[in-house]
Amino acid sequence: MKRSVLCSLVAMALTACQPASLSTDDPIKIGYIGPLTGEAAPYGKDTFNGTKLAVDQINANGGIHGRMIELVTEDGRCNGTDAASAARKLTDIDHVVAIIGGQCSGETLAAAPIAESAETVMISPLSSSPDVTDAGDFIFRDYPSDALKTAAMAKFFAEEGYEKVALITENTDFASAFRNALKEKVGEEKIVFDEVVEPGTKDFRTLVTRLKDTEFDIFFPNAQTDAVMAAMMEQLREQGLIQQAITHDVGDSPTLVELAGDAVDGTLVINVPSAGEGGVFQRQFEEAGYEPQASIAFAAHAFDAVNVLAKAIESAGTDSTAIRDYLYDIKSYKGIVGNFSFDQNGDVVGIPYVLKQFKNGEIVKVKDISVN
Amino acid sequence: MQLFANALIAGSLAALMAGGLALVYGVLGVFNLALGQLALVGGYLTWWLHQSLGLPLLISIIGGLFLAGIITWITFELVINPFYKRHRFLPIVTTIAVSMIFDALILLLFEERPRNILSSTKHFVTVAGARISWEQLILITLTLIFVASVAYTLHSTSVGRKIRATVQHSEAATSLGIPANILHRIIFIMSGVLAGCGGIFIGIDQNLTPVLGFPITIKAYAALIAGGKDNFWGTIFCAYIIALIEQLAIGVPWFAGSYIPAGYQSVVALLFIILVLLVKPSGIFSHKLRIA
Repeated sequence: MKRSVLCSLVAMALTACQPASLSTDDPIKIGYIGPLTGEAAPYGKDTFNGTKLAVDQINANGGIHGRMIELVTEDGRCNGTDAASAARKLTDIDHVVAIIGGQCSGETLAAAPIAESAETVMISPLSSSPDVTDAGDFIFRDYPSDALKTAAMAKFFAEEGYEKVALITENTDFASAFRNALKEKVGEEKIVFDEVVEPGTKDFRTLVTRLKDTEFDIFFPNAQTDAVMAAMMEQLREQGLIQQAITHDVGDSPTLVELAGDAVDGTLVINVPSAGEGGVFQRQFEEAGYEPQASIAFAAHAFDAVNVLAKAIESAGTDSTAIRDYLYDIKSYKGIVGNFSFDQNGDVVGIPYVLKQFKNGEIVKVKDISVN
Repeated sequence: MQLFANALIAGSLAALMAGGLALVYGVLGVFNLALGQLALVGGYLTWWLHQSLGLPLLISIIGGLFLAGIITWITFELVINPFYKRHRFLPIVTTIAVSMIFDALILLLFEERPRNILSSTKHFVTVAGARISWEQLILITLTLIFVASVAYTLHSTSVGRKIRATVQHSEAATSLGIPANILHRIIFIMSGVLAGCGGIFIGIDQNLTPVLGFPITIKAYAALIAGGKDNFWGTIFCAYIIALIEQLAIGVPWFAGSYIPAGYQSVVALLFIILVLLVKPSGIFSHKLRIA
């Protein structure tokens, strides 16, 4: 008697453990991983709000085949450890259909193996490290790889005659990978100054003092966050160095002007176009009560990532393999950031680069940059 | 010469933090792990008064420090005062909790993006071959005056003697007519104000982000331990020394013309501290305890 009760209890417990995503009225769970706290939180905030906006719009229009999307949010804190446990929770406990994230490359690279082994599609709206290319079959991104961006930069340096590059790198996955790619593309012999500092360092005075004795014609502040980049630029200009400076995505932030003022004036940025800026997307974004913390383009990439995923689920259902195959097969998706598709590695194809410059406190477009 | 100027700037910030810590830990014997957050509170409040409310810089700084003092006081009453006499480790737990609450509150109130108290262009002069801005010179001078006067008060005046007496034996001091409880409060609030100065320093010289709290506390502990925890002068001196070593470590070629990689900057300074402590475990400037 007792044994049979026990047996039925065990049986009940076992059935309770099964994923309950079979009912058609249940919400479709989508995970989000990004830095919601910490120094990189502006990126997390922007991509999260972009994600949230897309999800709310889809739900307001009746969801996907009548099923609402439920967003499960995890803080990746811009590091691998937190992102990995976030990915584990999302796949093992929440059984999400897909994940939007991570944002920092370190997050994505740590979460990727977990998503891959759980066969869960993951789309990163912001990770640009070249390593993400090989992160796995289920790993996509709608943000271009730095392998392309550094190639564009090397070409730009060659065209403009910049022969001596001074580089200070913050020791994070994104910035270090960028440093390696840049060194490879530009040529090691052209990097005349190359120092790597601990993440979050804000005292660059002594490195700048050494830069004074170095002959260089372009400075590259390779920081992970605009707070650190502002400190680099301020302290460079403080000591009277007037060489041209050029930077990447991180520098494409109006906050830099607020922080460093004149010190960033004239600085060049090579990055994806400021997608969504001044358009319908920005209006919707602001009407929803959000304000860009770093860049509206980050929100736009996240917005597109959710929508392309929703389209995949709409056509292919909630089966991961079917979603993955659908994403690989997309010919051209018309998003806020442009018309794009994914290559055989899950890397985005079709996002162009532009050269921008800080002029009187504004970031203005100078010209398009072709990669090929 | 520029290296010394760099070290003075970095050292001043470290000295303010270490000074705050020396008061609260060295004098009062209370571990306050929320000190870095209190610095941020001071910095952010000053930013808010100056940039959001548009008050003049000087008034904002005074206001920021005043508010930081009040918040430190509230912190003391809520999470230190009920516990610190029962067991000296209790405040570790309570202040960690407070530091997390502060982190969250700062994130909520001031958002994720970094903030700068003074974004206008700085004015530069060249002093003995080192390029430095007037703002930095003023910050360095004020820091020196401020920490030196605290050190002087503590070690060379009757008020300081009373403070040290209450720390040695609170009840005995009270029985001699020294208001121990009030003095403890004053020391704690002063430590918060010193830390707040540190926060304002960061806000003017670099920029404020909500996550700075913990790293700056660590460096302050290093200076305190190296200087000897009963000697305020020693702590301040060590804060500057650590800053100088950090600058020299990466600013001067060491091995056959090559430099120490910048990533090891703080490691070199902390290694030096370890070496010092091996020779003199109680700290460089620690006095022998007087035994009656």
